[in-house]
Amino acid sequence: MEMLAGLMQGFAVALEPMNLFWCFVGVFFGTVVGILPGLGPSATVALLLPLTAQMNPTAGLIMMSGIYYGAKYGGSTTSILLNVPGESASVVTCIDGFEMAKRGRAGPALGIAAISSFVAGTVGVLLLMLIAPPVAEFALRFGPPEYFALMVLGLSMVVLLAGKSLIKALLAMFIGLWLATIGVDLFTDNARFTFDRVELVDGVHFVVVAIGTFAIGEVLANLTHKDGGQMFEVPKGLRNLMPNWQDIKDSRFAFLNGSLVGFFIGVLPGAGSTIASFVSYGIEKAVSRHPEKFGTGAVEGVAAPEAANNSETGGALVPLLTLGIPGSATTAILLVALIMWGMRPGPMLIQDHPTIFWGLVASMYIGNVMLLILNLPLVPLFAQVLRLPAYVLYPVILGVSIIGVYSVDERLFDVWMVGGFGLLGYLMRRLDYPAAPLILGLVLGDFMERALRQSLMMSAGDLSIIYTRPMAVTMLFLAVAILLTPMFRRANAWRLKAAEQEI
Amino acid sequence: MPGRIVDLWKSVDKSELACSASLAALGAFVVWESTAWEYMTRDGPGPGFFPLWIGLAIVVLSVFYIGFHAYDLIREEPVHRTNWSGTAPVLAGWAAFMVSAALLKPVGFIASFTLLVVFLVRVIFRRSFAAALAVGVGSALGFWVLFVQLLGVRLPTGPWGF
Repeated sequence: MEMLAGLMQGFAVALEPMNLFWCFVGVFFGTVVGILPGLGPSATVALLLPLTAQMNPTAGLIMMSGIYYGAKYGGSTTSILLNVPGESASVVTCIDGFEMAKRGRAGPALGIAAISSFVAGTVGVLLLMLIAPPVAEFALRFGPPEYFALMVLGLSMVVLLAGKSLIKALLAMFIGLWLATIGVDLFTDNARFTFDRVELVDGVHFVVVAIGTFAIGEVLANLTHKDGGQMFEVPKGLRNLMPNWQDIKDSRFAFLNGSLVGFFIGVLPGAGSTIASFVSYGIEKAVSRHPEKFGTGAVEGVAAPEAANNSETGGALVPLLTLGIPGSATTAILLVALIMWGMRPGPMLIQDHPTIFWGLVASMYIGNVMLLILNLPLVPLFAQVLRLPAYVLYPVILGVSIIGVYSVDERLFDVWMVGGFGLLGYLMRRLDYPAAPLILGLVLGDFMERALRQSLMMSAGDLSIIYTRPMAVTMLFLAVAILLTPMFRRANAWRLKAAEQEI
Repeated sequence: MPGRIVDLWKSVDKSELACSASLAALGAFVVWESTAWEYMTRDGPGPGFFPLWIGLAIVVLSVFYIGFHAYDLIREEPVHRTNWSGTAPVLAGWAAFMVSAALLKPVGFIASFTLLVVFLVRVIFRRSFAAALAVGVGSALGFWVLFVQLLGVRLPTGPWGF
């Protein structure tokens, strides 16, 4: 009953004209970003972060989340029409989606992608609504030692799946943790690693690092990128985009499989939508009566991964909104946005800011309907975005990056820093260092240090406080077990496969 | 044996080696700086506690990484090889970005951004000068109208007032 009242309150918030407008802006930009190869949702959300500082928090979160889940819808368009995934979560859609397009069924492939995205997106929000409040209530029992252990567990999962080399992922995470220590220590007022620069007293701004490593790094990495291959024409008219009854019937299990697999993989930090889509595709193929059809244009091969990568968004928001622990680069940026708006993400968020939580949930229902409407009749229009030349797109990203970082504190120093982090982001790509652990280390570093120091203050410096509390020790044990996984040959083979897919 | 070491040295990815050495140096710097702050206070860990362990972890992991890299080479296992092809235009683009950042104060956003875009479109993307100028001026003016005029964002201005 309480949930229903919350949802009603959420709809009242989400249906306010301005919130509806920002929801539309978010899903529209999300679709465009998803369609464009080389520009991901994390880069876009990072670019928009400084510009949302003055926005109403509910409207800002609705818009940024709209970009996050809207990108998942858009990604399939490029996969099906160009055989180039618009974003990593749509890699697996290429396999059967492009084959369908080659057989003259691009319309039904796009249609089934939109319908499965809608079904799974809605299931994901429903599960988020059902699971988040009890998780938050449970997390109220956590003290600083449990929080410290939880962050260690979250980071270890991200590190495990972040790249082929576990050591490189760990190094990236520790660099992120070190960056988080720059600035004045809140416990003692000591300035740490400021190099006598007054600009560093408040620490390295997250926006600078996120825009540098993601947006500028992505532009630099794509500067030599040649334009894509042959694009299939999108059939005109809604009728030509609608899958037939047999397609829907063949995909019914894929909708369910993708929705559930996507959500529960989304809850796990580090796993992400790419892994969710591969797992659901694998399950779909394993249980199919005609596994030989997969790879030749099976409609289920489009429905399952598209459902999984959309449902994953709802799952990924559970740890963010209930524990304050992001599991990916995009949710890390959403966490920073919540802090920027003066909120403390964690178990109290739902109680202290019910309009934010329920408004977001309701807006996701509405956003999914908007996306279905946008992605069916307007998909030929969106496909035109692919004709935008790289020499126009990349300068625009650079311009938004400069304006974004400068507008935070109106400091030229930040523009220099963003250039530095841009080069770092490019070098990390070349040297095969994953960026996600660096970003998560930076976001969680401050909380982690605080939780550890508070824990040790509680015990007068005795470390046993961390390993004598049952929940904390369980989480630390799991973290150690996760980090030891690569030592086992079979587990490491699975990890490498998962990490490769995530790349 | 010395011949084996020479072979190993030749086959090591020098980029990986340089990167690991730089990271180890960074870790050592973090440890060194941390020793200047209190490790433990009467109330609990001091400001030097967390960074000290982070620095140590960076040093240890960097050394481990290069050790594993060499071990994999000895066992003739596949190792990561850094591909630097196509880096020259990237570095040129990055240098142009930094020059543009340096010009923000003396000439303002519009002029510095136009110069950056003209350089990128003309030199990196090899389009005609007319196209480069059109994209440069068009995007800079577009940003000016959207962010400065409509959204009220303050951007650096040059001696001519924009």
